Amino acid sequence: MNERHKEPSEIMDDGVEAALSRLTPEKIQAVINSVLKGETGARFKAYMDTCIHCGLCSEACQFFLSRDRDPHYSPVGKVKQTVWPMVKNKGRVDTDFIRRAVRIAHTECNLCKRCVAFCPFGIDIAYLMTVVRRIIHKLGATPLYLQDTAHSHASTMNQMWVKEDEWIDTLQWQEDEARAEIPSLRIPLDKEGAEIMYSVIAPEPKFQAQLIYQAAAIMHVAGVDWTMPSDIGWDNSDMAMFTGDYEIMGRIKRTHFEAATRLRVKKIVMGECGHAFRSVYDTGNRWLGWAQPPVPIVHAIAFYYDLLKTGKLRIARKYSHPVTLHDPCNVVRGGGLHEKARYVVHQLCDNLIEMHPNREHNYCCGAGGGVINCGPPYKNARVAGNRVKAEQLFDAKSRGAHTLIAPCHNCHSGLHDIVHHHGIDLEIKFFSDIIYECMEKPDGSE
Amino acid sequence: MSKMVKTGVFVLLLLTVMVLPAMNVYSQEDMRAVDSSAFDCPIRPPAVFAHDDHNDTAGIDDCARCHHLFDDNGRKIEDESSEDQSCADCHAQEDKGTVPGLRKAFHWNCKGCHLQQRTGPVTCGECHVKK
Amino acid sequence: MTSLYAFVAGPLAWAAFLFFFGGLCYRLLSMLRQVRQSEPFIFSYMSLRYSLRSILHWLIPFFAMGWRRNPILTGVTFIFHISLIAAPVFIVSHVVLWDEAWNLSWWTLPDAVVDVMTLVVVAACLFFALRRVLRPEVRFVSDASDYLLLVLTAAPFVTGFLAYHQWPAGPWMTIAHMVSGELLLALIPFTRLRHMLSGWLTRAYIGSEFGAVRHARDW
Repeated sequence: MNERHKEPSEIMDDGVEAALSRLTPEKIQAVINSVLKGETGARFKAYMDTCIHCGLCSEACQFFLSRDRDPHYSPVGKVKQTVWPMVKNKGRVDTDFIRRAVRIAHTECNLCKRCVAFCPFGIDIAYLMTVVRRIIHKLGATPLYLQDTAHSHASTMNQMWVKEDEWIDTLQWQEDEARAEIPSLRIPLDKEGAEIMYSVIAPEPKFQAQLIYQAAAIMHVAGVDWTMPSDIGWDNSDMAMFTGDYEIMGRIKRTHFEAATRLRVKKIVMGECGHAFRSVYDTGNRWLGWAQPPVPIVHAIAFYYDLLKTGKLRIARKYSHPVTLHDPCNVVRGGGLHEKARYVVHQLCDNLIEMHPNREHNYCCGAGGGVINCGPPYKNARVAGNRVKAEQLFDAKSRGAHTLIAPCHNCHSGLHDIVHHHGIDLEIKFFSDIIYECMEKPDGSE
Repeated sequence: MSKMVKTGVFVLLLLTVMVLPAMNVYSQEDMRAVDSSAFDCPIRPPAVFAHDDHNDTAGIDDCARCHHLFDDNGRKIEDESSEDQSCADCHAQEDKGTVPGLRKAFHWNCKGCHLQQRTGPVTCGECHVKK
Repeated sequence: MTSLYAFVAGPLAWAAFLFFFGGLCYRLLSMLRQVRQSEPFIFSYMSLRYSLRSILHWLIPFFAMGWRRNPILTGVTFIFHISLIAAPVFIVSHVVLWDEAWNLSWWTLPDAVVDVMTLVVVAACLFFALRRVLRPEVRFVSDASDYLLLVLTAAPFVTGFLAYHQWPAGPWMTIAHMVSGELLLALIPFTRLRHMLSGWLTRAYIGSEFGAVRHARDW
């Protein structure tokens, strides 16, 4: 059977099925109640009691809009299919219910919080979905591929099973490559007292090593006093946050902050990743008891903004193609970096073609929140679930956009799938791709 | 609102000078409604009130039961009544010190007594009947 | 009948206000206690400035993206809530009762205006009910309680309108109006109508989060 024609409800996830086969109604009830009673509080109760079932949140959700306004995909519709019965039946739900809850909470909600900005009461439905995910985690029923990344975090302190020697080798390899272009370039490892620790997500050394090359080049050209840790803590990503495995989330965030503390840096600069920003800036630090991150966190967008604004980085020639900009939820609704992103765009490019809606109201890429990390079984459903993004991209394309800037790894991959599936001819780039291409480099380096 | 009962008692003590402003004894048997002409801008139909029938039914002989008089200290003067005066002579549109405004005085006088006696109309529409 | 009125206007009214104010206070205090017990971090994120910023932006009709995407519902919601509060508070018949019982009185609206507002409330409740039936995404998340809440809300306004116009004559419609109003007041803290209190708090919290942490608009 052609995957493309599978209904989301027909998708089989081996990890979920294996877990469900081991569950009993008693176990399900015990877990649900332990989470609802033991881990939620006034906020959960207020959200449950305040929601007047008006459905205004529906308009916010790319799944709802893309699935022909099917009520099952509206934010409150997802709550109705997951949280409400759990509360009403005091945890007495069956395995079919859990299977559906896994699909909804893990693959049909990106936790993008767009609906929060559509609810008159500001009810955080993404939070309610994370409660469902927490229950699923405690039932052991997290989708297989996503769970694998959490296992990797737990075992290696990075998301991609990267071993210590592979990490250091990759950095040295990229340093060597870059020195062919800029001979004096270094990737300083474990430089105590540097101003900045640069951290990345594990997919960069695993299969996007050129991003580390580009970052090193930018750091070098801008004269930044920076370092990267050779030991654990170099990975700022966090899939455990999305599986609801907060114990692991706490461990990996602590490791990341401790790496910065060990190196006595003043701040952490992170690459163009959205979920990692959410984890480091918002979620993980809170789990560890920090209202704000213990070490200041600077997302790549804000970092490039500073470098361009202060003139440390100069653009030799502007990027020649018209661009459009995707606003990633985690750094825009999660960090307010949309205007800085536009400043950076305008420094790099003459022609920005805005998508609408944009900034805080931009449609999610459909990949974030761990959805893309649920892997191949869900890919077609995910792409089909974000038709509105495809329409938005197509609209930008039809108005002349050539390049799509997506300053977030998840967005990047998710948008790639959408662009590829619909044949929208847009080249997808990170900011660092364009900065590296357009910045002034030392004489003779080109 | 429950204070209504209590205030009803209070009202009776206050006994209004009102009920029938500018009204004399001879016309009372024909009276069907409280004269609302003293109100600057009456917003409800005048209250239904058949003076003689009401007093026959209620067994009220003492004019001062409604046509009361109070001294300067706010004490009711026994054995004196005020049927020679208009209610509005004492009760202004608004409250003045301990003297209730005309509307409040009417309500206290009528509704207060009805509540106390547990008989007679008490809801808005029973007295302010629309024509 | 007069005794019944005395009961409805006396002990029952006391009970209704007690349930209403006591219930709301209880809800507020238990919420604060629960926050302190299990989610004390919420206090450290609350910001008066950003709470008000968020609330004020949402109080402007058609300002938030969520409002603008649903212009008809937004219009109905605003005039519904304004009428729902203003009509009973500023109707002269109620102020008279407050005045006579407690010597408290305040500015009132002309009866004709309140009459229209009352019809607005009833019509809006009908609109909400119809919307629940007709919009698939709303019907999907509606159950009997949602319709009951609309009936509960509309009842004092329907009976109040009829009592005012004296259809039928006599005390019964007024008694029904008082009882239904008291029932509504008493049940607000114990149904999802408590959004009249909690809605401000959830908005304030998310406004604080978006303002002070996320540096983004939440409207």
